[in-house]
Amino acid sequence: MKIAVISCIHGNYEALNEVLLDIDRHQVEQIYCLGDLVGYGPYPNAVVEMIRSLDIPTCQGCWDEDVVEGLNACECSYPSLLAEKRGRLAHEWTNQEIHPETRSFLAQLPLSLRDGNLCFVHGSPHSQHEYMLPDMHAFTAMERVLATGADTLFCGHTHIPYVRQLESGQLQVRVSSGQSSQRPNQQTSNFSAPLKRIVNAGSVGEPRHGRTNATYVLYDAETEQVTLREVEYDYQKTCAAIVEKGLPSIFAWRLARGLEFAERADDPTHVCER
Amino acid sequence: MVIWAILSGIEGNLAAYEAVLADIKRQRQPVEELYILGDIIAATPASANVIQRIRSPRDHEPEPQVCRGWWEEQLLILHGSGRTGEPTELIEYYGAEQVKALWDAIPRSTVNWIQSLDFGFFELDCLLIHGSTVSVSDELTPNTPPIQMLDRLMRMDANYLFCGRSGLTFQYEIQQGSITSSVTTLDHTAPPQATLVKPRQVIGVGNVGRIPGQATYTLYNPYANQVEFRTVRYGPRKGFQSI
Amino acid sequence: MQTFPLTLVAGPPGAGKTTWIRQQLDGAERFAYLNLGADAVRIDATYLAAEVPELVVWSSWLPELADFTKYQTYIELDFHIDLGSLVLPTEFADCHRVAVLPPGIRQTEWHDWADVIVTGTETRVPLQPPQLWRSLLTGQVLDFASLTTVWDELINGAYGHVQRAKGIFEVTDGRSLYFDFVAGDPEPTSTELDLPRWLEGRPNRFSGVEVVGEQLDETAIAQTLKDCCLDDRTLAYYQQQVREFLEDG
Ligand SMILES: [Zn+2]
Ligand SMILES: [Zn+2]
Repeated sequence: MKIAVISCIHGNYEALNEVLLDIDRHQVEQIYCLGDLVGYGPYPNAVVEMIRSLDIPTCQGCWDEDVVEGLNACECSYPSLLAEKRGRLAHEWTNQEIHPETRSFLAQLPLSLRDGNLCFVHGSPHSQHEYMLPDMHAFTAMERVLATGADTLFCGHTHIPYVRQLESGQLQVRVSSGQSSQRPNQQTSNFSAPLKRIVNAGSVGEPRHGRTNATYVLYDAETEQVTLREVEYDYQKTCAAIVEKGLPSIFAWRLARGLEFAERADDPTHVCER
Repeated sequence: MVIWAILSGIEGNLAAYEAVLADIKRQRQPVEELYILGDIIAATPASANVIQRIRSPRDHEPEPQVCRGWWEEQLLILHGSGRTGEPTELIEYYGAEQVKALWDAIPRSTVNWIQSLDFGFFELDCLLIHGSTVSVSDELTPNTPPIQMLDRLMRMDANYLFCGRSGLTFQYEIQQGSITSSVTTLDHTAPPQATLVKPRQVIGVGNVGRIPGQATYTLYNPYANQVEFRTVRYGPRKGFQSI
Repeated sequence: MQTFPLTLVAGPPGAGKTTWIRQQLDGAERFAYLNLGADAVRIDATYLAAEVPELVVWSSWLPELADFTKYQTYIELDFHIDLGSLVLPTEFADCHRVAVLPPGIRQTEWHDWADVIVTGTETRVPLQPPQLWRSLLTGQVLDFASLTTVWDELINGAYGHVQRAKGIFEVTDGRSLYFDFVAGDPEPTSTELDLPRWLEGRPNRFSGVEVVGEQLDETAIAQTLKDCCLDDRTLAYYQQQVREFLEDG
């Protein structure tokens, strides 16, 4: 069975449409979506309507959560003051723009989805706001996959697609417990972790890999093969709509360069405790 | 020679705390730092006396450095300044009647002080915290999977993590480890790379007040990296309040 | 009549006037510098003063005439000053006139005006005076990550076609940074000025930005720079953090 995984559409209807056409050409049996349907882009309602009408199982992204719950992100979740100000502008605009049906659809999205040995989340299994970047410490990455109980973990949120294979993980541990260190109950053991994979689906609507093309992934359950797809779409149309709809024109400028920065914290594993 | 005393979970038991302070005084190597990793209170009126005692150390006693524990967090939730809105965990573990008991037990005048407590301390390469880097409720035990222990250590890049949530005394050493990782992006495939793990430890510091008559805590020499667990027995003498 | 050891330096933006003056100052003593036409936005003067601590910088026209006898003085003429209508004190009549021009250009008003033509850097800046936008930022402190984002956007055309941009910016950790960009130059530079870190309150020293180009969206540049600036509370917080960090060594 072949599946397609899409993420981070961010109100970019043109890109979504083109990606769905590309998926159609690959005889896919199931599409999964990792959230961030809205935020930054000009067509949040149309994107949500499309996902809903196609019955695509979707988990909730950080932007979907923020639109539903109200923005409670702290400044530390933004890479800079400027990114924070722009994020707030995008949030306020989206909040005004979306219909009640859109909001209630986003509110009922689950945090994770499961299909056999595959698990789907937006950021990480611990938080929608955590970035699983490709250079995350390999053991930390392994912990994230193990936390789900799945063999392959699909995530998004970073807007740059990748496949990461983790293997031959082993840890040697000595545990002493008991009331007194004079008579410790000591035990040494070895743990080995099975082969696991992390697949980042990139971003349909706000690519950040330096080109304007939308990205998503295909996965073949039989061969376990992952294909990173890059799809051209008419980004100029989205850029024009961004300006027309009254969003800051710098969003269009960045989109036209594959440099959109929807969100990206300095410390990617940082989750605000406030 | 520097010795730290690290304890957790007084849970309103003043007699137990006094017994530990007395034991600290009896140490041959003088204890220079006293860390209290939360749960100084429980839903008992005696908790107020413990707060009072902690805030007024006597001559020659080290000034306690206190961080927030699970009980303090529950109290702050009731006062609307916790990290979640509802005291769900309190009700789940202790029942709804404890909500009122906790509210009544702790004088309003001390809530500000509790709110000012740190989440934890980072000293040298040691993280001292009630639960873990994830939350005050995160309970690390000798049976926690090693990969989870490693994650908690690496979140703050600590070599030693002292915690008190489980109430147990234990020393959990990650002696060595390795893993191989390979990444493919749109533009290139990197060859597999091995990552090694340097030795790190999680230390459960025990619990002072939960078991009547018996308190456990930890002494640590940060330069020799030596851990010693202490068990202190004490009798129900004057001032003891049952919990 | 007394004469003065005075050099006037003119040329289009980005050709390398300040760089040429900087080279003349190496190893010499008793030099003074004055930037004519830069008004309050004294980017070049601040840059030179930080680079060459012995340099005397005159920040406003005019010092006493007598002062010009004491120093070998360089006066940098801003490109938008019309050379034909520039009126100097008669005492300056026989001063040395240097034009720093990009390679390969001929027959400009600079050629008529100058005693010496210095070949500077290749620029794609047209010789017609383009649009000039300046802003004084003294007292403002920017967050470094925001600054690099906006600078990157600026020189890559997000706010109009930029031919030349330079600025001195105060950043959160107390440093004063000099950014310099000329269209066509493959490597825009940014350097740290050799000034003490400013870690107590708003810096009381010059910072500012100057952009030369076409179809500049001045409002957007100004607003974006404003969005990079720290408010009092945040500034105080970070300054304290940096002070503590530096004390801990
Ligand atoms: Zn996203
Ligand atoms: Zn996201």
